[in-house]
Amino acid sequence: MPLGLLQRLDRLARNLTPLTLSFLLVIVSATPLRIPDFGPVAPNVGLIAAYYWGIYRPDLFPAVAAFAVGLWQDVLIGTPLGMNAMVLLAIHWFILSQRRFFQGKSFAVVWWAFALVAAAMAALLWLIAMAYHARLLDATPAAFQGVLTVALYPFLTWVFARTQHAVLRQA
Amino acid sequence: MKYRAGSVMRLAVPFRALTQRFAFLFLVLAAFGLMMIGKAETLLVERVRTGVIDVVAPIMDVLSRPAAKVTAFVDDMRHLTELRGENQQLRLQNTRLLQWQEAARKLSTENATLRELLNIVPDSRVQYASARVISDSVAVFARSVLINAGGRHGVAKGQAVVTGEGLAGRIISVGDGSARALLITDLNSRIPAVIEESRERAIVAGDNSGQPRLTFIGRDNRVELGNRVLTSGHGGAFPPGLPIGVVSEIENGVIRVQPFVRLDRLEFVRITDFSRVIGAEETPTDPDSGIP
Repeated sequence: MPLGLLQRLDRLARNLTPLTLSFLLVIVSATPLRIPDFGPVAPNVGLIAAYYWGIYRPDLFPAVAAFAVGLWQDVLIGTPLGMNAMVLLAIHWFILSQRRFFQGKSFAVVWWAFALVAAAMAALLWLIAMAYHARLLDATPAAFQGVLTVALYPFLTWVFARTQHAVLRQA
Repeated sequence: MKYRAGSVMRLAVPFRALTQRFAFLFLVLAAFGLMMIGKAETLLVERVRTGVIDVVAPIMDVLSRPAAKVTAFVDDMRHLTELRGENQQLRLQNTRLLQWQEAARKLSTENATLRELLNIVPDSRVQYASARVISDSVAVFARSVLINAGGRHGVAKGQAVVTGEGLAGRIISVGDGSARALLITDLNSRIPAVIEESRERAIVAGDNSGQPRLTFIGRDNRVELGNRVLTSGHGGAFPPGLPIGVVSEIENGVIRVQPFVRLDRLEFVRITDFSRVIGAEETPTDPDSGIP
């Protein structure tokens, strides 16, 4: 049965949920919390978004989406354009290449894998930043950010999973 | 019908895989290219960036308000417990400040008379615009904040961003209703400075740590722990004499400055409109124009 216009719009809106939600979370994450020394190590929500949707709904979160969320982070946070986009693309590529591994794995395993991915991405970000600035940089903030991002992962996963069940169940 | 769809699928699946792989490669190249363009031609990139931020700024502004409320509430609670001691301390400080005020008044009149005697060219007037910080610096390798005042409010690139405590940074990109300020701790921040006590010139250079370094100062300098570091006004972008910080560490020739401004808790800042009014007639007061 051909779909009506409203139905199609509805489906489009639902299918765009992962992307919209990621964009919103990036905005929220840039809100000043004014906790001493927290800003530079605040969790990287783009990392979690790209990881989660890349595993559970890669059809709705293609490479373009990872790129867009990364670029969005770069624009808002003030990092060189393309830096986070590159990191999120790397995550996306990694997850696609390891799809078999992630299929049907328990939360704990996926979280544990995320810790490894976050560590690798912190290192990648550090290397890209050093190449960009052509200067040796202290890796400590990147490492701290990695730890906090891993700590935030269960909470954001809960948010994503809730949204997925509520909005994308029938899609 | 079924058969036809199947044959199309047989062709489409590898084709799709191929385009996907190609698209991925294209995106990686795009990210890389953007970084290159950003490094080489900052003007275009900045224009795009500020355009986008102008659109999101109102949302971030709204979001930043409750966050600020919560922080203020937590602060209030904490201060409540320290109220008595603080009061006593403030009273002491008040008496001391009153003495200072007396001294300052005397010096100011003396200064005015001496200036008249010497016929000194007056410093140009500084004007301020106030703005709210709407986005934190959440990047690992960059220290900057977004503020909710832009070109519409007279904010321009290069202007100094200050708080009551001293210099916080400078404006690096301006949109219509928003602007980005590079904090003095950022890797790319260089501020011409002068040591208050010895009047030696130096550059306060950020390195992403909480305490920027003091560079371009001679090996045989007379800098000591606790010396105040002020803007020197060289380069014309900043008014001279804005407090930057205090020398907090001298180790193996590396001098570090602890900024007076608590950069991780910025809420309201003022943008000094200095370069534009250079050479303007002197007025004795600094009029505060309360923009957003």
